[in-house]
Amino acid sequence: MGAVSAEKSKGVWMNALTQNLIEFFVYGFVLTAITGLIASWIVRKVSALVQYRVGPPVMQPFTDVLKLLGKEQLIPEQANRFIFSLAPLVALSSVILLSTMLWRIALHKSTYFAGDVIVILYLLVMPSLALILGASASASPHASIGSAREIKLLISYELPLLIAFVIVLVKATGKLEQTQLLSLAAISGLKPIMSISGFLAFLAAILCIQAKLGLTPFDMAEAETELAGGVLIEYSGPLLAIWKLAQAMMLIAMPLFVVELFCGGFSPSIYAGIVKYVIVLVLLILIKNTNPRMRIDQAMKFFWYYCSPVLVIAMVLALIGNYFNLGWL
Amino acid sequence: MTYEQLKEKINSISDKLIKVEQTSPKRLYLLCESENAYKVNRFVFEDLKARFVVATGIDSDNCYEIIYHFSYDQLGTFLNVKAFIRDRNNPHIESITPFIPGAEWTEREIHDILGVEFKNHPNMKKLILADNWPDGKHPIKKDYEYKKLK
Amino acid sequence: MRWWKKVALKKSPWVFHVNAGACNNCDIEIVDCITPRFDVERFGVKLVGSPRHADALLVTGVVTEQVTPRLQEVYRQTAKPCVVFAIGACACDRGIFTPGYHVAGPVDKVIREIDPNAIIAYVPGCPPKPEAIISGIVKALKAL
Repeated sequence: MGAVSAEKSKGVWMNALTQNLIEFFVYGFVLTAITGLIASWIVRKVSALVQYRVGPPVMQPFTDVLKLLGKEQLIPEQANRFIFSLAPLVALSSVILLSTMLWRIALHKSTYFAGDVIVILYLLVMPSLALILGASASASPHASIGSAREIKLLISYELPLLIAFVIVLVKATGKLEQTQLLSLAAISGLKPIMSISGFLAFLAAILCIQAKLGLTPFDMAEAETELAGGVLIEYSGPLLAIWKLAQAMMLIAMPLFVVELFCGGFSPSIYAGIVKYVIVLVLLILIKNTNPRMRIDQAMKFFWYYCSPVLVIAMVLALIGNYFNLGWL
Repeated sequence: MTYEQLKEKINSISDKLIKVEQTSPKRLYLLCESENAYKVNRFVFEDLKARFVVATGIDSDNCYEIIYHFSYDQLGTFLNVKAFIRDRNNPHIESITPFIPGAEWTEREIHDILGVEFKNHPNMKKLILADNWPDGKHPIKKDYEYKKLK
Repeated sequence: MRWWKKVALKKSPWVFHVNAGACNNCDIEIVDCITPRFDVERFGVKLVGSPRHADALLVTGVVTEQVTPRLQEVYRQTAKPCVVFAIGACACDRGIFTPGYHVAGPVDKVIREIDPNAIIAYVPGCPPKPEAIISGIVKALKAL
């Protein structure tokens, strides 16, 4: 009896393992890579249309990554080879893990464990950390300036993002049970954007995502004309292909996180979810195309002096709304 | 200030000049020898308060000429101080960089491509010739051998 | 080269611009190509900031003695396979600066010193019109 149940539980465990691996591969890698490269094409096409020109064809980001895979790999002599090669792999793997969790929450609405949103918040930081490490290991003054800017940007926008997340938690306290509070699948059933404090938090989260993705006005780390390529100046060949792929996949993962946190996820149907995601993406693109690049001290002042006080006011409004049971506050 | 008043003022150092000519309505040439050029430049810059523009080096057949272009803004005219360097084998002239710091690069360029030595220059290094250019060859001299057209 | 490498290289050539002693006319025409009127991004051409990301080097200007070692270093840092475009009359064969004292040679002589098998394409003109530059890029990629 004991032997039979031990075998059965081992069989169940193997099934769960293969199911998780398939989920990783299909959702995390293949689906996110394809949709991420299409999203990066959308960014380039909409930017081109806004600038009154014809943009690249649909397969352009795919051929970009393919071409980079076929080129020679050059590593600078004085660079730290191990960290130099490891950084893009760390970025790619964290984005794969992140998007596996986000897609499963979006499509299946099932949770992993209570508290998985904390893991997602940790994983959101990993690509930026990998960028900083890889740039510092490059042994180039341009890359070190870019990495210093990325560090300063990281300490500026992480706080508003976390405060925005806490505002969502505050608004969710009345409607969710205690155990379900920190699971993204439960949070994505609510729509915090429909209230004043939630809307302010949504705007702040959009700007933080813009900084995290490295889009103008916050692209001073990978500034093309200024820093000759910035953080990624010494990368070439397959490692650069992995960076471009990771950046394209982040274009899917970050707005998806914002949609699930604020706008209610893929709730009525998949089509509504896709429409919500496209609206958030187009908002990011339009902010990208209408703004010049900021200096790093302007960006830090923006996040610390303007964004955070507005979020503190929104938090106060949310607490007042919770106390007096006003849903619209 | 009119031209007559200007020429009267120039008369005060006429012992250092060979001659003063006005070749066209807005150009005044003050010709002098290379030994007196420092004092004439100092006079034009400090007493007449003209603005230094640039300096030109010319390889004439029997001498070198360095022309210092000053702009006299009150009249809208150019005051050119033309200094003759008679010694072709060892051309040297005193540098005006100590009281006009903006002339430093101009004199480095003239030294590079014409070979004129500027005494008391604070920072005489190669400016426009390549780093691996051999010393002693100056391209704009008339006896420099150019490459043949292929 | 494997067939998929060749196809991908033809569809998305990333370009790095090197000024090796030019008068800036050709550089202005190259930047003109990216403007909405000529728009080379529809061919996948992107102006990148680092030679390590580039597939094509657009070299302008007659190559002076001072810039020769630097141009060779930039060529060595470009990830192969790559194409070198000599844009303008000065880059193709020195133009009016042939007897100049500062001229080290046209672009192909300087690049073939370090890599005899380099692929070099010539776009003559002073300066070449953006349409000529685009047609040069397209023809060179077709012949690859």
